[in-house]
Amino acid sequence: MTRQNDEPDAHVVLAYRDVHKQFGDFVALAGVSMEVRKTEVVCLIGPSGSGKSTLLRCTNGLESIDGGEITLDGQVLPRHGRGMRAVRQRMGMVFQNFELFPHMTALANVASGPLTVLRLPRGEAEARASALLAKVGLADKAASYPSNLSGGQQQRVAIARALAMQPEVMLFDEPTSALDPETIGEVLNVMKALAEEGMTMLVVTHEMSFARRVADHVVVFERGTIIEQGPPAQIFDAPLVPRTRDFLSHLGWEG
Amino acid sequence: MNLHWSVVWDNAGALARGTELTVLLTVLTMAFAVPGGILLALMRLSRSRLLSGASASFTELFRNLPLLLVIYAAYYVLPLALGVAFSPFATALIALGCNVSAYNGETFRAGIASIRKGQSEAALALGMSPWQAMRVVVLPQAARRVLPVLASTWVSLFKDTSLVSVISVGELAYTAMLIRSRTFRVLEMLTAMAVIYWSLGYPQAKLVDWLNRRFGVSE
Ligand SMILES: Nc1ncnc2c1ncn2[C@@H]1O[C@H](COP(=O)(O)OP(=O)(O)O)[C@@H](O)[C@H]1O
Ligand SMILES: [Mg+2]
Repeated sequence: MTRQNDEPDAHVVLAYRDVHKQFGDFVALAGVSMEVRKTEVVCLIGPSGSGKSTLLRCTNGLESIDGGEITLDGQVLPRHGRGMRAVRQRMGMVFQNFELFPHMTALANVASGPLTVLRLPRGEAEARASALLAKVGLADKAASYPSNLSGGQQQRVAIARALAMQPEVMLFDEPTSALDPETIGEVLNVMKALAEEGMTMLVVTHEMSFARRVADHVVVFERGTIIEQGPPAQIFDAPLVPRTRDFLSHLGWEG
Repeated sequence: MNLHWSVVWDNAGALARGTELTVLLTVLTMAFAVPGGILLALMRLSRSRLLSGASASFTELFRNLPLLLVIYAAYYVLPLALGVAFSPFATALIALGCNVSAYNGETFRAGIASIRKGQSEAALALGMSPWQAMRVVVLPQAARRVLPVLASTWVSLFKDTSLVSVISVGELAYTAMLIRSRTFRVLEMLTAMAVIYWSLGYPQAKLVDWLNRRFGVSE
C-alpha cells in the first residue's frame, strides 16, 4: 500500500520515522514508521501491550523517545522541555479513564485549558466551553461535577476539554474501553461527528466496527512494531498478513 | 477539702486573655505551617537533590525532637545564633511553626502522592506547565484529601500550645499556673484549665470527625 507516498507532504500532519522507545531493557516501540494526514482518521489496533498507548504518549511528549523522530506539520518535535508544551497545545488527548478534574464542574473542566494555558478572560473561556459542551450534547450538564456524570458523559466532557484548545489533531487512547456498553455509542457518535467535520484523529481502539466504518487508514501493532497498515477494507476484509487475521478473529471479527 | 471557686471568677479576665492568646497561637502557627508544609512537600518532591535533601533534613529533625526541647532550644539558641532577641510569643510561634510545618509537610506529601499520575498528565496534555498542573489540578485535590489530617493536627496543636508556657508566653496554661502560684489554689485552677481546654477542644474534635466522614474517603 503505497498510498502514503503519492500525495504531497503538506498534507502530512504527523509523521513517525523509525521511532524507538524502551522502558529499561523492554522494547516498547521497535522502529515505528507511519503518517497521519490532514482530516484523516487513523485507527491503531492490536493486542494489549503492543505499544499503542506508548506511541500516543510519545506523540505528545508524555514519554520521550529513544530513537527516530516524530514530526508535526513537518517540524521535528522536541524530545522534552518547554518546547513540548507549545506542541501539546496543538494536540488534544483523550484518555481511557477520562481523567476529568474531579474538583471542577464540567464547564470548568472544559474551560481549564483556555483559562490556564491560553490565559483567556474567564467570560471568553466559559463561552467557548459552553459551546463545546453543547456540541457534545451536554449543555445541561455544565454545572455538574464528574462524579455525577455517567462514564459516557464524562468522556464526552473530556473530548470537549481537549477540543477547547482548538487542536490540529486529536489523540484518543481507547476512549470507550472503560465504558458501560450502553454508553459506548454516544461517545463513538461524538467522535464520528468530529471526523466528519474534518478533524485529524489518531485513535487507539478495540471497537472494530468503528474502525471499519470511520477510519481512513488502519495500523496494526504487535510487540512494538507495525505488522500491517492500509485502508480498512484491506485490513478487515483481506489482510495481507496472517497475524492480522489471527488478531481479528481472536476478537471475534468475522469481516 | 475546701474549694474556693471564687478564685476562678476573680481571675476570669486574665483567664480569658490567656485563652485568647492560646487561640491566637494556634491560628498563627497554622497560618504559618500550612504554606510551610506545602513548601516542604513541593521541595521534597522536586527533582533538585538539594531542595529535597534540605526538606527531608528539616522534616526529620523537627518530627523527631520533643516539642518541649524545640521550644527551649528556640528560646536559648535563637538569640545567640541570630544575634536578635525575639519576644517569647515570637519564639513560641517559630518553635511551634517549625514543628507543625514538618508534620504538615509529610501530610501534604502523602496527599500529593495520592493523586494519580493521570491527573497531572491530563493537565500537561492540555499544555499546562508542571507548576500549573500542580497548582490548578493536583494541589486542590490533595488539599481536600488531607483536610481531615490537617484538622486533627490542629486539635493536637491547640493543646500543645500549653507547652510554650515554659518560656513565659502568657497563654492559658501559663496564666492559670501563674494564678495558682499566687493563690495556691491548685485544684481550682487545674479544673478551670481543664474545663476551658476541653470545652474549646471538644467541638473541634467533633468537627474533625465530621470532616473525616465528609472528606475522608472520597474520590
Ligand atoms: N512507564 C512504563 N514503564 C515500563 N513499562 C511500560 C511503561 N509503559 C508501558 N510499558 C510497557 O510497554 C508495553 C506497551 O504498553 P502500551 O503502549 O501501554 O501497550 P498498549 O497500549 O498497546 O496496550 C507494555 O508491555 C507495557 O507494560
Ligand atoms: Mg493502551
